[in-house]
Amino acid sequence: MPVDAQFLAELGRIVGPDHLVRDEGELSTYESDGLVSHRSRPRAAVLPETAGQVQAVVRLCRRVGVPFVARGQGTGLSAGALPHPDGVLIVMTRMNRVLDIDIPNQRITVEPGIMNLEVTRRVAPDGYYYAPDPSSQVICSIGGNVAENSGGAHCLKYGFTVHHVVGVEAILPDGEMIHLGGAAVDSPGLDLLGVLVGSEGTLAVVTKVTLRLLRRPESVRTLLAAFDSTDAAGNAVSDVIAAGIIPAAIEMMDRTTIRAAEAAVSPGFPAAEAVLIVELDGPQPEVAARFEQIEAICDRNQGWGVQVARDEAQRGRIWRGRKAAFAAMGRVAPSYYVQDGVIPRSKLPEVLRRIRDLERRSGLTIGNVFHAGDGNLHPLVCYDDAVEGQAELAEEVATEILSYCLDAGGSLTGEHGIGADKACHMPKMFDEADLATMRFLRRAFDPAELCNPDKLLPTPRLCGEVPGPYRAHPVEAAGVAERM
Amino acid sequence: MTEIVGLRDALISQIDGCAAGAVARPGTEADAVDGVVPAIVAEPGSPEAVAAVLGWASDHGRSVVVRGGGTKLGWGPPVDAVDVLLSTRALNAVEAHRHGDLTATVQAGAILADVNAALAAHRQWLPLDAPHGERATIGGIVAANDSGPRRQRHGPPRDLIIGMTLARADGVRAKSGGIVVKNVAGYDLARLLTGSFGCLGVILTATFKLAPAAEASRTVQATLSEARQFAQVAAGLLARGATPTAVELAWPPPTMLLRFESIAAVAVQQAEQAAALVRDGGGGVTVLADADEAAAWRRHEARIFGGGGTIAKLVVLPSDLSATLARLDEAARGLSLDCEVVGRAGLGVLYLRLTGAASAQASLVRGLRGRIPAGRGSVVIRRADRELRSLVDVWGPVGDGLPLMRQVKRRFDPRGILNPGRGPGGL
Ligand SMILES: Cc1cc2nc3c(=O)[nH]c(=O)nc-3n(C[C@H](O)[C@H](O)[C@H](O)COP(=O)(O)OP(=O)(O)OC[C@H]3O[C@@H](n4cnc5c(N)ncnc54)[C@H](O)[C@@H]3O)c2cc1C
Repeated sequence: MPVDAQFLAELGRIVGPDHLVRDEGELSTYESDGLVSHRSRPRAAVLPETAGQVQAVVRLCRRVGVPFVARGQGTGLSAGALPHPDGVLIVMTRMNRVLDIDIPNQRITVEPGIMNLEVTRRVAPDGYYYAPDPSSQVICSIGGNVAENSGGAHCLKYGFTVHHVVGVEAILPDGEMIHLGGAAVDSPGLDLLGVLVGSEGTLAVVTKVTLRLLRRPESVRTLLAAFDSTDAAGNAVSDVIAAGIIPAAIEMMDRTTIRAAEAAVSPGFPAAEAVLIVELDGPQPEVAARFEQIEAICDRNQGWGVQVARDEAQRGRIWRGRKAAFAAMGRVAPSYYVQDGVIPRSKLPEVLRRIRDLERRSGLTIGNVFHAGDGNLHPLVCYDDAVEGQAELAEEVATEILSYCLDAGGSLTGEHGIGADKACHMPKMFDEADLATMRFLRRAFDPAELCNPDKLLPTPRLCGEVPGPYRAHPVEAAGVAERM
Repeated sequence: MTEIVGLRDALISQIDGCAAGAVARPGTEADAVDGVVPAIVAEPGSPEAVAAVLGWASDHGRSVVVRGGGTKLGWGPPVDAVDVLLSTRALNAVEAHRHGDLTATVQAGAILADVNAALAAHRQWLPLDAPHGERATIGGIVAANDSGPRRQRHGPPRDLIIGMTLARADGVRAKSGGIVVKNVAGYDLARLLTGSFGCLGVILTATFKLAPAAEASRTVQATLSEARQFAQVAAGLLARGATPTAVELAWPPPTMLLRFESIAAVAVQQAEQAAALVRDGGGGVTVLADADEAAAWRRHEARIFGGGGTIAKLVVLPSDLSATLARLDEAARGLSLDCEVVGRAGLGVLYLRLTGAASAQASLVRGLRGRIPAGRGSVVIRRADRELRSLVDVWGPVGDGLPLMRQVKRRFDPRGILNPGRGPGGL
C-alpha cells in the first residue's frame, strides 16, 4: 500500500507536525548524501526525538508495507542514506544527546545523532577520547559511523568503529526494540552487534550507542618525509610494517594532492612526487626508539626534506595540509571521481605504478591522498565536464582502478561502504554463494525487505543504473570539512 | 543392533562416496562428546569434503558436531545424540603468512601453538593466548571467541579476524571479508560466525591481522593484602599511562600478574613503575623475565584450566569488580564451595573454578546472575558435569535479542543439524 494522506497524518501524529517534512522543496535537502550524483526524493521525512517515536514510525511502515531509510548527517559517500522514492526517510539528527558518561569504566552512552567529534569533546577534560576519527568527524553522526563501520587516520593502530562500539539499542524492521551488547565487554549469544556495525542501515535503526573511550597517549610524535616517487614512498610504508612497527597513522599524498593542499592552506610541504606523514604515539621511550627506526627507513628509501613537528602547532600544520588536500582538489581540477579501494599494504608500490600507467594512458590526472598504512587508497580521477566524453572516461578509469585493487587481493571499499553506489560491483568481489549467505542475514532481520532496500547487495532494480561522478559535498565545498 | 550397525556402515560408505577425501568411521568411546558416542566420525581431508559431509548430513537430517582440538566439547547444554562428529584435524595448514602485510590465513584445524611457531619465523604472532594453546585449534578458538590474558592489549578473536571461508549447513561454501586489514564490503559474516559455537556453519579458514612479536617482556608478580586492591592497582596503572598487555588477578589469596611488552627500556621501566605502585599499597612484588616469566604464566592458566570442577566465565564492569568478588567469597563460603578465580582485572572478565555440591553451585550461579543488571555482565558456564548443567541454564539470560538470534539460526541452518540446541542461548 502506498503512502497516502492517512499514512502521512499518522506519521505527523507520531513525531509532531513540525517534525514531518512533506514539502517538495524541503525534501530536496535530503535527496542525496555526500555522493550527490545519486538523488531521489522520499515521500516524506520524519525527525523523531525519541526511540519510541522511531519505533512507532517503523511499526507504521511495516504495517502498511512502506520502505524506510535512516539518515544521520548525510555525509556518507556511497549513497547509503539515499531515500527510497516510495518511502519514508527517518532523519536521526534530533536524537543527539549524551545519556551517560562512565569514566571509571571508560564508557559513554549517546544517541546516534550526536556528532563524532562531540563525543571526544565531552570526555576530553577527563583525559579521554573516542578513537575512530573520520575526517568528517565535525559533521558526521555516530549513527552513520556505526552503520558504515567508519575509519579514520588513526584507525591503523586503534581499529575501526566496530572495535569501539560495545552496545546498541535498535529498532528492528518489524518494530521490535532490541539491545545488543551492553556496557560490559562480552554478552552471551550470537555477536549480532559485530555484524550490525557496518550493515549500512539495512538491518535496523540504531537508537542508542555505548562506546569505549581511550586514555590519551603519553606522547605523540609526527614526521613528514618527501620522496621522488610514489614507489619509494610505498616501499617505505611496506618497510615500516615489515619492521613490526604499527604507527598511530601513516598517510600518503602525491604530487597532485600536495599541490592542491599548498594552494589551499600552504602547509609548507616540499614540492615532491610524494610525501608520507607518520605519527607515533605511546610511552615516550618507545615512541623515541621507533621514531629513529622510521627516520632510518625513510632514509633508506631516499626520503628527503624530513620535517619533525616540534610542538602542537607544527603538528597541527602538517595535519591541516593532509586534511585540506581533498577539499582543495577543486583548485586543480573542475571535477573528480573518488574511489575507496583497499589493497594489501605490501602491494602499494605495484598498484601505485599501475595507476601511474593508467594516468599516462588515459590522459586524465589521478591524484592520491590516502591511508597508506592500511592500504586504503583514495584515488581521485580528475576530469572536466566541459570536455566531451571526459566524464565517461573518468568513470571507466575509476572502475579500472577498482579492478587493480581486486586483482591485488583487496576490497571494493575500506570505509565509505557499498551503499547504492557500489552494490552492482559486489559480484566482482563475492560470488553468488557469498552473496546468498549475506542474504540469509538480511532476511533474518528484515523478511519484508523494507529497511533501506536496494543498498549493499546487488538487486536488478538497482544494477540497471550507472553510478555517477563525485562532486564536492556542500559542507566540504564550503571548506568546513575535508575528506580523507 | 546389527541392523543399526549395518545402517551406520552404509552411511559411512555414503559419506566417503560423496565426500571424496573424507575418512568416515564408526565412533568409539574415545570420540564421546559430553559422554555421548557419535554414530559416525568423519575427518575430511579438504574443504570440499567438509562441505560434502554437511550436504549429506543436511539431506539426511543428521546432526553434526564439529571437533577441533576437543578442548571445549563439554561446553553447552547436555547432548542427547550425535550422528556425525566432524573432525577438522586434517585441515591444519597455515595457508598463507603474508608477513609484509602482517596477516595470515589459517585452516580451522591448525593448533594455535603450531600456528604461532610458524609465524615466529618472521617475528610475528597471532596475538591470542587462549587456554590449552597446545591443543586448541583456530576453528575452536574462533567459534568460541576464546581469548587469554593478553586480550587486554590485542582483543578477542572477533577483533582480529578479517576474513573467513565457511561451509554452510547445506554444504555450500562461502566467504566473507578478505585478506586486507581494512574492508567494509558486505556483511561481516566472519564476526557473526566468531563466537557462534558451530551452530551457524563450519569454519574452514580464518584470516587474521597479526602483531609483531614484542622485543622484550617483563611480568610483575604482586601479592596483595586484600582483593579490594585489584581494581585499585588496575586503575592506578592505566591512570599512569602504563601500557600493560595483561592485567591479571588470581584469588585466593589475592595476587596479580602484570605484563609489559615493548622495547626493553619500556618493558623494564613500566614494570618498575608497576612494582612501585604495588609496594606503595603495601603489597609484595617480584619482577619476572624469561623462563621464570613463562612458568608464572603457565601456572596462572593451569590454576583454572588445569584443574577439575566447574569452569564459569563471569563478566562484570571493572568498577563492579571488588563488590562482585566480595559477594562471590561470601556466597561460596555460605554454600561450602571451593572457588578459585583468575581473570582480566582491566576488562572485568573472570574465570571461576568451582568444586562442591552441584545444587550449591547452581545456587551460586543463580545468585550471581540475579545481581547483575542487563548489559552490565553475565555468568556463562563453560565446563560442568551433566548434573549442574541440568540444574541451571549454561548461558543464562541472553536478552531481548534472542528471538532474532533464532531467526538467524533458522536462516543459516533451516534443518537444525549444526550442534543442535547447544549454540549460544540454546540455539
Ligand atoms: C568531507 C568528508 C570526509 C569524509 N571522511 C571520511 C573518513 O575519513 N573516514 C570514513 O570512514 N568516512 C568518511 N566520510 C564518509 C562519511 O562521513 C561517513 O560514512 C559517516 O560515518 C557518515 O555519517 P552520517 O551521519 O553522515 O551518515 P549518513 O550519510 O546520513 O548515513 C550513512 C549510512 O548510515 C545509515 N544510518 C545513519 N544513521 C543511522 C541510524 N541511527 N541507524 C541505522 N542506520 C543509520 C544510513 O542509512 C546510511 O546507510 C567522509 C565524508 C565527507 C563528506
